[in-house]
Amino acid sequence: MTASTRRTVLSLYMRVFRIARSWQAQSGVASDTETEKKYMLQEASTLFRQNQQLTDPESIKRCLEECEARIEIGLHYRNPYPRAMHLPPLGLATQKGRKLRAQQRLRKQAKPVYLQSHDDS
Amino acid sequence: MAARVLQHCVRTLRLSSGHLALRAAVVPAAPLHRALSFYSADRRTRCVNRIPSLDVLCRQYGHLPPLTLESIEERVLYVLKLYDKINPEKLQATSHFMKDLGLDSLDQVEIIMAMEDEFGFEIPDGEAEKLMSPDDIVQYIADKKDIYE
Repeated sequence: MTASTRRTVLSLYMRVFRIARSWQAQSGVASDTETEKKYMLQEASTLFRQNQQLTDPESIKRCLEECEARIEIGLHYRNPYPRAMHLPPLGLATQKGRKLRAQQRLRKQAKPVYLQSHDDS
Repeated sequence: MAARVLQHCVRTLRLSSGHLALRAAVVPAAPLHRALSFYSADRRTRCVNRIPSLDVLCRQYGHLPPLTLESIEERVLYVLKLYDKINPEKLQATSHFMKDLGLDSLDQVEIIMAMEDEFGFEIPDGEAEKLMSPDDIVQYIADKKDIYE
C-alpha cells in the first residue's frame, strides 16, 4: 500500500469519526442518536480492520469507493445503516440446486459497491 | 453615600489584611461592623452579611483554568489509560504507539480523535499522523495553545 493510499484511508476514517461526532438522528430521539453514533464507529472500525490486509490496488480502490459511497448515502438519507437491496431476478437457487453457481455469480454481480465488504451469502 | 461607605470598608479591609497580627486590627474592625450595619440598614434589599471584597469593584468573567504542561500531560495520559487497547502498566510518556504499545494506524487515529474531544480543538490530518507518542501530543498541544515553561 503506497503512502498516498494510506493517507486517504486514514483521512476517510477520520472523516467518519468527525461525522459521528456531530450526528443527529432523523427521528430526533436522543437514544437513537446514541445508537446510531455507536453503530457508525463500530461499523467503521470492523470494516476497516477487515480490509486492512488487502494489498491488491484494485480491491483497495473498490474498498475506498465503498467507504465514500457509504458516507455519501448516509449523509444524504441521514441513515447510517447500509441501504438494503433486492435480489436480482432469478437470483435464488432452484429446488434441485443445479443453477447454484450461476445464481451466485448473478448475485455477486448485482451487489452494489457500498455492500462489497458485507458477506451475505 | 453608599459608595463612600463601600470605599471605607475596602480601605479598612486593606488595612486589616496588611496588619493582621497587630491589635490595631481590632480597632478598624469596630467601625467596619458599624459601617456594615449602617449599609445594610440603608439598603434592606441587599444582604451584606459578608464583607464586601475588592472583586465587587471589578467584573468577573468565567474562563477555563489556565493550562500548564503538567496538566496537559496528566490529561493525555488519563485519556490513554481509559483506552481499552492500551495496557495501563506499560504506558509511559515516551512510549511509541506502534513500536512499544503495538497499536496500528487506525488505533492512532482513534487516539487523536479522543484528544481532540478532550481538548476541544481540531487537529488537521497532516499533523495528526505524525503524532506517535504521548510526548509528541503534549508538545503539539502546548505549541498550539502557546504554553511555555
